[in-house]
Amino acid sequence: MSGLGLHKKLEEHTGLLIFGILFVSSIGGLVQVLPSLFQESLQTATENTTVYSPLELMGRDIYVREGCSVCHSQQIRPLLAEVERYGPYSRAGEFVYDRPFLWGSKRTGPDLHRIGGKYSDEWHRLHMINPRDVVPRSIMPAYPWLAEREANGSGDIDKRLSALRKLGHPYSDEDIANAGAALEGKTELDAVVAYLQKLGTAYGHGDTP
Amino acid sequence: MVSEENTTTEYYHDRVVTTLVMCSIAWAVAAMAVGVYVAAELVWPSLDFGQPWLSFGRLRPLHTNGIVFGFGVSALMGTAFYSVQRTCHIPLFLPKLAWFTAIAWQLGVLLGGLSLLAGMNAGKEYAELEWPFDIAIAVVWVCFAIVFFGTIARRRIKPIYVSNWFYGGLIIVIAMLHIGNSLAIPVTLFKSYTLFAGAQDAILQWWYGHNAVGFLLTGGFLGMMYYFLPKQAERPIWSYRLSIVAFWAFTYSYIWAGPHHLHFNAIPDWVQSLGMVMSLILLAPSWATMINGIMTVSSAWEKLRTDPALKFIVLSLAFYGLATFEGPMMAIKSVNIVSHFTDWTIGHVHSGALGWNALITFGTFYFLVPRLVGKELHSVKLANIHFWLALAGTMLYVLAMWGAGVSQGLLWLSLDEIGELRYSFRDIMASMPPYYLLRLFAGLIFLGGTVLMAFNLFKTIAGAKTVQVRPPAVHGAGASL
Amino acid sequence: MLIWLFFRPNQAFEVLSNTSPTANAVFFKLVIWLAAIPPVLAYIGGSKFGWRLGAAEPLYLAQDVLLKISIAYFAALLFGFVSTAIIAKWMASTYGARLSLGIHYAVVTIVAAPLVIGSIIHLYPDMFINVLVLVPALIWSMFLLYKGLPIVLRISPERGMLMASSMIGYLLVAFVCLLGVMVVLWGRGFGPAVGI
Repeated sequence: MSGLGLHKKLEEHTGLLIFGILFVSSIGGLVQVLPSLFQESLQTATENTTVYSPLELMGRDIYVREGCSVCHSQQIRPLLAEVERYGPYSRAGEFVYDRPFLWGSKRTGPDLHRIGGKYSDEWHRLHMINPRDVVPRSIMPAYPWLAEREANGSGDIDKRLSALRKLGHPYSDEDIANAGAALEGKTELDAVVAYLQKLGTAYGHGDTP
Repeated sequence: MVSEENTTTEYYHDRVVTTLVMCSIAWAVAAMAVGVYVAAELVWPSLDFGQPWLSFGRLRPLHTNGIVFGFGVSALMGTAFYSVQRTCHIPLFLPKLAWFTAIAWQLGVLLGGLSLLAGMNAGKEYAELEWPFDIAIAVVWVCFAIVFFGTIARRRIKPIYVSNWFYGGLIIVIAMLHIGNSLAIPVTLFKSYTLFAGAQDAILQWWYGHNAVGFLLTGGFLGMMYYFLPKQAERPIWSYRLSIVAFWAFTYSYIWAGPHHLHFNAIPDWVQSLGMVMSLILLAPSWATMINGIMTVSSAWEKLRTDPALKFIVLSLAFYGLATFEGPMMAIKSVNIVSHFTDWTIGHVHSGALGWNALITFGTFYFLVPRLVGKELHSVKLANIHFWLALAGTMLYVLAMWGAGVSQGLLWLSLDEIGELRYSFRDIMASMPPYYLLRLFAGLIFLGGTVLMAFNLFKTIAGAKTVQVRPPAVHGAGASL
Repeated sequence: MLIWLFFRPNQAFEVLSNTSPTANAVFFKLVIWLAAIPPVLAYIGGSKFGWRLGAAEPLYLAQDVLLKISIAYFAALLFGFVSTAIIAKWMASTYGARLSLGIHYAVVTIVAAPLVIGSIIHLYPDMFINVLVLVPALIWSMFLLYKGLPIVLRISPERGMLMASSMIGYLLVAFVCLLGVMVVLWGRGFGPAVGI
């Protein structure tokens, strides 16, 4: 059988085997992943999607640091019940400034994609310091340390904006220069709340599902 | 390369294998203990005592990284080094590099774990470690590749045995995925931003994430199975032809399945559908491999009497069958509507991680460790108790998560007579603790079994030295392994 | 026989291994009735107490919906009994076990008995309490499987162990398959309303 004969060659030559594995395993990525990385529609912002302000960005980075995506998703699917519960479903163009994406894999807690504007800042503060103060049966961990740390504690907010500008986020020189000042006197909790209040505000609840 | 010569002072390099096995066992106990802790936190959230480094969000990646990269990769490296030498009849290429690979990897996992507790988190699943670790991983991985493929290149038996194709696939594909998914711009030593954003980042992440499962947790451990199962059963693999077809079909199909993690998410529909179809096709090579394993063992049943290791491997194949059936099923869009974001996914992960990965590793270790140190297993009775604990723990875990997941999924979608949501998220959430308690109990049972194994194997190793084994003197193509 | 299953399983199995039941006899005299018990109890419990799924108010479904669910449950259990017995018979030659379909039905029925008895808890359909009762029942069933299979099918304990593990594999796959089918059908409208 020539098939078996061909395979004999692969089995007897290290280099051919390595090349064979690499070749066969690359095909899926080349067809499925590569085109998407260059697809315009996946990297074009929707009308009301704007870049994160320094405070919101720091809040997002803290959200990543604390592993919030492990329990909260940010992806509303186009399903009737989901749109009823959370709001208009998520569009790709709303996530063009999300590095990394935080769509999540699990809802131990509710989806947060359209949490912006749903609760007051004060509610969020109480909830983060101790979730059970506002949701009695919650199993969410408490985050009291956020209120005790400075938002720009690591001192690198300007570097963060610079890096993002290299990747195409529309920050001006002014934005970067004033970033530190924008975080002056703010805590990490302020930053996280600012981030949460921004989430999903590109689409209002009156908009098409 | 058929050779008759064999220098009298040439031995296999097995001390590095023993070291890797011991590290793997230590990681298993530690990372499973963290798993039990986070399971407890889901029932009693105050178990973090207000400390950031004990917080669920930081401990969870510690658990997943500890298991996959600590327990899993150490076991794969150790068994790869052991089996590649014996399937090639030659000691490891560059043994010092092999030692460097083993030790550097342990340091990487340890420091990486500490970095996660400190809050260095890139925010992508199974790729949480920040960029300095990504670079270190790549460097160590290249060393692993050099040792492994170098040994194969210098082999004294002409054909490369099937287990080496799977280990080879593990090394090559993980390298490709790791580099692709780690592309980022560093900001400081502790923080970077991904090269791609939003939907594009999502597609890239799950190309990586799904195939980390595919080639590390599935492919690598199939390499383990293809070497150690015939060894334990003292029979050759049931069908050589099937193993060829299954390997290439597996290597080709797995890569496409990533988008089933993104059904009904904001990515192109064709990408989702392709992911679903290829996930279904993947069922065939997966089950072909399982059948190959089971048929090999079913002619060697009398060994089960004296050999607890074989029991573990047999059961692991059953769970492999379950997990590789459940995966494609959950990849069907209609099922995924209910299962996505729920504990069903967690149940699926653990049926694979506990039922397949852990069990086959345990079986392999019970077989391997006595041979490495030239002593009998300290206690066959303990190993048998471990078997029942592992079975009970896995089944209870999976059942608890099926219960939680299916009810979450359906309740979230539930509408009342006038078409409004029947339940609030809070109410559904509040009905989960019984399942989470059952899962905690299951985890404790499984951890208990693992601790028994650690005790048993360390007692076996204690006071003994790794046996020095010489490669055979004659190396025909059909020479026994 | 049933009492023996709890206190003297070995004896129960010895007795069973000395019988040679026919498939039809077991199916029509035992299986159909045993498989009917859980759905009937679930129907009664669901009507009287409502489904209690945790913190929310008990859910009282309409009678016809409850009836449909009970019928589907019955069908699923029958499918489980029959398919498991057939799969066991299919595996029997590989493991050197007895080949009569009737004895395989008998084994499956005996092994499933604890779960049928445990399903009495369906009379009070609180999720947590049902889980609390049925999980130990399941553990007992699995114990009976590993212990009883080799005795009744007259094979060595080692082969029995292999065969039992293969059966567990099949049962898990069949169960998850049923979960998938249920979820898909539910999504298509066969059951209480969901917003898809």
